[in-house]
Amino acid sequence: MRDETIREVEQFLYREARILDNRRFRDWLELLTDDVHYWMPIRSNLYPVNSKAISVLDGSRLEESEVSSDHDLALMDEDKDSLTRRIDRLDTGMAWAEDPPSRTRHIITNIEVEAGDSQDELRVYSNFFMYRTRAETEQDFYIGSREDVLRRVNGQLRVASRKIVLDQTVLLAKNLSNFF
Amino acid sequence: MVADLKGLVDIDQGLLSRRIFIEPDIYQQEMEQIFARCWLFLCHETQIPKPGDYFTTYMGEDPVLVVRDSGGRINAFLNVCAHRGNKLCRAESGNAASFICAYHGWAYSNDGKLQAVPNLKDAYYDDLDQSKWGLTPVAQMDTYNGLIFATFDPDAPPLDDYLGDVKWYLDVFFNRREGGVEVIGGVHKWMAPCNWKLPADNFCGDGYHTGWSHLSAVQSGFGGDFRVKTASAGGKSVATGNGHCILTLGPDDPSDPAVPEILDYEESIAAEVRKRMGPRLDLVKPHVGTLFPNFSMLRSVARVFRVWHPRGPDKTEIWNWVFVDKAAPPEVKEAFRIVALRAFGPGGGFEQDDMDNWQECTQTARGVVSRRYMSNISMGLGHESYDHDLMGWVSDYRLTENNHRHFYDRWAQVMASDSWANL
Ligand code: FES
Ligand SMILES: [Fe+2]
Repeated sequence: MRDETIREVEQFLYREARILDNRRFRDWLELLTDDVHYWMPIRSNLYPVNSKAISVLDGSRLEESEVSSDHDLALMDEDKDSLTRRIDRLDTGMAWAEDPPSRTRHIITNIEVEAGDSQDELRVYSNFFMYRTRAETEQDFYIGSREDVLRRVNGQLRVASRKIVLDQTVLLAKNLSNFF
Repeated sequence: MVADLKGLVDIDQGLLSRRIFIEPDIYQQEMEQIFARCWLFLCHETQIPKPGDYFTTYMGEDPVLVVRDSGGRINAFLNVCAHRGNKLCRAESGNAASFICAYHGWAYSNDGKLQAVPNLKDAYYDDLDQSKWGLTPVAQMDTYNGLIFATFDPDAPPLDDYLGDVKWYLDVFFNRREGGVEVIGGVHKWMAPCNWKLPADNFCGDGYHTGWSHLSAVQSGFGGDFRVKTASAGGKSVATGNGHCILTLGPDDPSDPAVPEILDYEESIAAEVRKRMGPRLDLVKPHVGTLFPNFSMLRSVARVFRVWHPRGPDKTEIWNWVFVDKAAPPEVKEAFRIVALRAFGPGGGFEQDDMDNWQECTQTARGVVSRRYMSNISMGLGHESYDHDLMGWVSDYRLTENNHRHFYDRWAQVMASDSWANL
């Protein structure tokens, strides 16, 4: 991967993080392709295959992945329309989870850039630390990894898909009212 | 051992002391009187279909292991090693012939028997009666419509009696088509800083909050297409007894999301469902409810059921399942999956906002002065009567706190009574 491309991707992700932290959600939508898939599966707490804490009875019943598959339940499974409606909701003046609004800080790190499935796409891995504080003393830590497909549309990078995996299994925050 | 409960719940005036949402001794008494005695939900049968399948959960704050043994029978045990009390199974689900404790290695078969003890011969001189040191089973376990319930109390009435007349309403949620329902893989789990009773009473029948708490979600299209048709005055709140509460819409009110696959599906099965459920379905459309104490369900917009696990006076761990008719075609199941998680998961357009309100209703009760004042559940007082067709105490109007009063009336009875015979 060319250095120039890596730098471009980094700058794109940092700018996106700033736009989210500044609550410019309509501008953020512009950074997503129209066919975007925005997905936050569930993380489960399972024994690994070689665990000696159990002896398995039926090997075909083993869940090998602790991350839910795409036909299972997810924390978010969104397209551009549903993301737009989430942002419409914030504009109603009655979205109580965000009224008063969260103050968020997205720290994006560990960025890796690889070739994508097609010429105009890149596969990008990153980690995030999203700190949310709200009202008087509320605070939440959302930490996890992202796997993005970035696509070049009219010369500009856009998010075509994003898989967000939180590290918590029981979400310790009372809700998910922000974007990642 | 019984805290002084006098004056905490005044059903005749619709007043509720806010002490019950925050005080530790009241919470502790709930653990003993309610959670160690009532029938509590464990999981759905379709989560553990095969021999060896297990799911770990909680009854109150007690960890519980639900497991289908090698012979295919479902059992539930305290998820606690009999040796020194270590938590036995630390995974949330899986498949096992046996479970081996991480501390000293005692091994239990999936029917709860103690199978192997390290150093039995040398250290125990072969003198430990293994048959006495198996896992502790729940006192009673039973299922209804694939929902698995258990109680720690051998004297609790059978599940069938405990549920009583709410069973028809459960059928509408979980058995309206041949084969009943199945759950979508995975459980939403999150921690809310509120007392467990606030969400439980909300699902009893707080139709009142929907129009304001959730107006933003309705206006931005997370709910049904209520812009086309609004709810009639025909909805009822129905308290069928034993603290179980159901809220209904009018029979022809819209309750489905504006998703073509779902609307078409519902239309295609309407006659079949009406035939199976009988003429009561011409009177009401049940859409949300709570089984006393902490199991709730919803079939308006999303099809979900819930457990509100108590985690101290001001914390609740919420578990949310999404269910679908087993007989529904795959694209309909997929549509319900999407709708449910977008509306009623922890990130749902509806559900995000409830957390904030339940949190603050709990947290303000930390103030000793705030908690001197009673909260008001008097809406519709005197405007209810027993309805034989609907098998419960029914409100005259769709907006009422009738069900809240029945829920807390039962709460006070169970808290105060030492025997089921007096309940
Ligand atoms: S505590 Fe389980 S083996 Fe000792
Ligand atoms: Fe609500």
